[in-house]
Amino acid sequence: MELISLFPTWFEPMVGSGWVVGFIATFHVLASHTSVGAALLFAYLSWRAYKEDRDDYLDFVKKYGLFLLVFTYVAGSLTGVGIWYSTTVASPNGIGALIHSFVWKWATEWVFFVIEVVGIYMIVYLVGKVDKKTHMKISVIFGMASLATMVIIVGILSFMMVPGKEQWFEQGGYLLGFYGDNTFIQLAMRMAFMMTMTAVVGGIVVAGIKDAAFKKEMARKLGWLGIIATLTGAVLFQLYVQTVPDYALLVMENRLPDYFNTSIMVVLVITLAYFIATMLQPRLLVAGFAGTMSVVILVAGLWPEETARESMRKPWVAGQYVYSNQVIGRDVPGMDIQSQLPIIEKVGILKAHPFTPEHLREVNDGNIIQAGEFITMTYCSNCHSASESGIRPLHRYFPEGVTQEVMERYIRGAIVPGTIAYMPKMPMIESEIKAISAYLVMNNNQGMAATQQAIAQEIAQRDATEMAKQAEQPGLVVSMKSTAEESK
Amino acid sequence: MEPMQLTEMMLALRNPAGVPFYPIVFVGLGVLTFALHIFFVQLMLGTAAITLYGAYKQDSHWRRLASAMLEIAKVSVSVAIVIGVAPLLFVQVVYDPQWYTSNVLSADWVIGFIVIMIVGYWGMYYYYFKNGKYGANSDTPKARWSLILSLAFLLLAGWIMHSLTSQMLHPEQWASWYNPNGTMDYSGSKLHANNPWRYAFFILLAIPAAGAMLIAYRRFKSVRADADMTYLNWASDLGKKWLTYGSLMVIVPYIGWMMTLPEAAGDFATSLWGILPIAILVAVAGWAQIRLNDKDSLCNYMALPMVLVAVLVASITREVLRFVILNDAFGYNFFDYKVTMDWYSTGLFFGTFAIVGGAVLAYFLTIAWRVGQSNGVYTSSAAVDRMGTLAIWITFLWLIHFFVLGFVVWAQ
Repeated sequence: MELISLFPTWFEPMVGSGWVVGFIATFHVLASHTSVGAALLFAYLSWRAYKEDRDDYLDFVKKYGLFLLVFTYVAGSLTGVGIWYSTTVASPNGIGALIHSFVWKWATEWVFFVIEVVGIYMIVYLVGKVDKKTHMKISVIFGMASLATMVIIVGILSFMMVPGKEQWFEQGGYLLGFYGDNTFIQLAMRMAFMMTMTAVVGGIVVAGIKDAAFKKEMARKLGWLGIIATLTGAVLFQLYVQTVPDYALLVMENRLPDYFNTSIMVVLVITLAYFIATMLQPRLLVAGFAGTMSVVILVAGLWPEETARESMRKPWVAGQYVYSNQVIGRDVPGMDIQSQLPIIEKVGILKAHPFTPEHLREVNDGNIIQAGEFITMTYCSNCHSASESGIRPLHRYFPEGVTQEVMERYIRGAIVPGTIAYMPKMPMIESEIKAISAYLVMNNNQGMAATQQAIAQEIAQRDATEMAKQAEQPGLVVSMKSTAEESK
Repeated sequence: MEPMQLTEMMLALRNPAGVPFYPIVFVGLGVLTFALHIFFVQLMLGTAAITLYGAYKQDSHWRRLASAMLEIAKVSVSVAIVIGVAPLLFVQVVYDPQWYTSNVLSADWVIGFIVIMIVGYWGMYYYYFKNGKYGANSDTPKARWSLILSLAFLLLAGWIMHSLTSQMLHPEQWASWYNPNGTMDYSGSKLHANNPWRYAFFILLAIPAAGAMLIAYRRFKSVRADADMTYLNWASDLGKKWLTYGSLMVIVPYIGWMMTLPEAAGDFATSLWGILPIAILVAVAGWAQIRLNDKDSLCNYMALPMVLVAVLVASITREVLRFVILNDAFGYNFFDYKVTMDWYSTGLFFGTFAIVGGAVLAYFLTIAWRVGQSNGVYTSSAAVDRMGTLAIWITFLWLIHFFVLGFVVWAQ
């Protein structure tokens, strides 16, 4: 058998597995970036509290810390694990590529996670129970440990887009994969963004401050932090775009929704206006307003940004060698990794896939829709949903009434050789082209329900044929009833 | 599928990038961190169960204990989650064919796990915020439903993880789960395998774990000038009972687990590794009876490490069982996973773990310990203060090294 490393496929018809990863990742970014930014803010405020002997700074740290402990540390740590889980079920070879190159880096990050978790409890619960100098030291360590988690994960995120250095493909090794142009500029951009988030979410805590003078002071501090971070982040985003591969820019121009640039600009302006308004009039800063701003940034700023990052790296999902459909599409001599395309070209995707059921390994008239569905799920469903809803539904890409002949021509001419810039090369043997075409035509013209009916009919026909074959063999028990009748 | 074909399939599913160090090291770290993770899960469940029981008791000692244990339950959930990241990482390194397949085949539950955990965790915090540190003479605690919900969801999350790890051990059934009755099932909507005895064993270890915590709690609080010794002795006596009888009680589900092992496990149940957890649990119960008669002895702190050792032995047994099933019955041997050696990142992890982790956690835990035994504001001694300065410098140098090395590589 010539098998490649393909796992079963999870098909989520409502939103699609890609969006599930996107939802979890976006929420995690909000929580984790706020946490890291706040950790640095705590270190600064705790230091000021020690130097100036100010209890109110520590009181603010305690309140903000408790808020983060419940909302961002609980949800942030769990959605962080959730990214692993969701990518495991949506893109096992994508996460597998990252895990196997960066397992020690993640393990190193884990050491800092442990420090963070112990640290946040200490920062919150030891206010007023230890002297200010000790609290300051705990806060400084906590801030640096949080920053360490950020610097580690950014290198891995950069590798998803493009390995740090081009030499990595020839020489392999962790360092060449981790460090590159994209790593540092992305880190700087994310640090700016996390300070913006810290200032916005911190507003929820500032809103609860009773002392008007202190509220004004904190609103101004957070306001300046937010304005500087937002403007710096906007500049850094422009620099970040310079470090991504050319094809990623092409994808960005062609594939991102029309509202992307507008949305980012609107959020930028709203954010700046929000900070200016709350600095000028701290009484405007109420919990509902700050909470709404957090949601605005999440929905209108973070979601498009994360969607862009996800879309830009197509057709790859990791390291420019694992396709978004999980097939390894490129040799990486430095890691002794071979492209899986030659094997698929030789035997077809059905025979190369370890999880193809025996009855689908050869396409025939009795299983053509099942085989077509299997190939569609394997090759397409990560990026295109077979259902009406979900991620980039397939039916949007074909005209109503498309014929088998036209579909086959399209598959043979564009999909198999991979001539569409942001789509993988998807080798298929001729019978598989016919099968996927038959499925896509039926799915497009009659809907997914019709494909399921056709599959049910194929299975019923297959079962009936098998029953008939068994019945023809003398002495074989077909059913209790027939055996009893035979013995009469 | 024939066993040979299953072997070939699992080998094909291995990640071609290989692993950056010897596979046994990842397995060893996986066992160690799983033991720590499940120990904190057991502490979390045990102390949350005490809180729940105390919430329905009118007795002042129970009320007070429930309030104190809620503090431990909250922290234990956080620690269990953060430590749980490590075994989740390491299992993907050498058992990726099994882990990923199992996850994808039950994907809805894998995603549901996250939501269930968040609800479970927030349920506990909701109860805490509704009641605060309510202590002995409080009214009936509010929102007890949230604690029930929390405990139920945490147990459900445990069941999901239990099922996913069980499914790893049945490669012979993967094809039928993916294609039941000849129809493809891409939904990931079912959990396919479980062993209630195994689940019960790991969950019920919460009883001796919570017992050990009560014994250590009494010893820790007894040095304070404001200690209420009647209450603390009552808690300690209760803990000793839980530790002794709980250690013996969990042998029952353990034997149930061993008696219901799949055929692929062969005679594992009667092997040395199969019997060792029983021996260690009996030893823990015996140790508790012999060594825990003096309540003021430092030995009382040893109750927690003793349970941890028992949990570690059970975790080793669990890992050996996985190896036996996958290697002996299906020919999958993690030892022969391709190695793409990377000395720098290996050294970085162990260095960070030992030096940064050691220095910082030693400082943090020293402070936490001293604060817990102090009245009023704790001021660091010169030695503890130096520990803090050292921890700051070590963490700072780690960050410097990260950037300096990064710029050197980048500039090449």
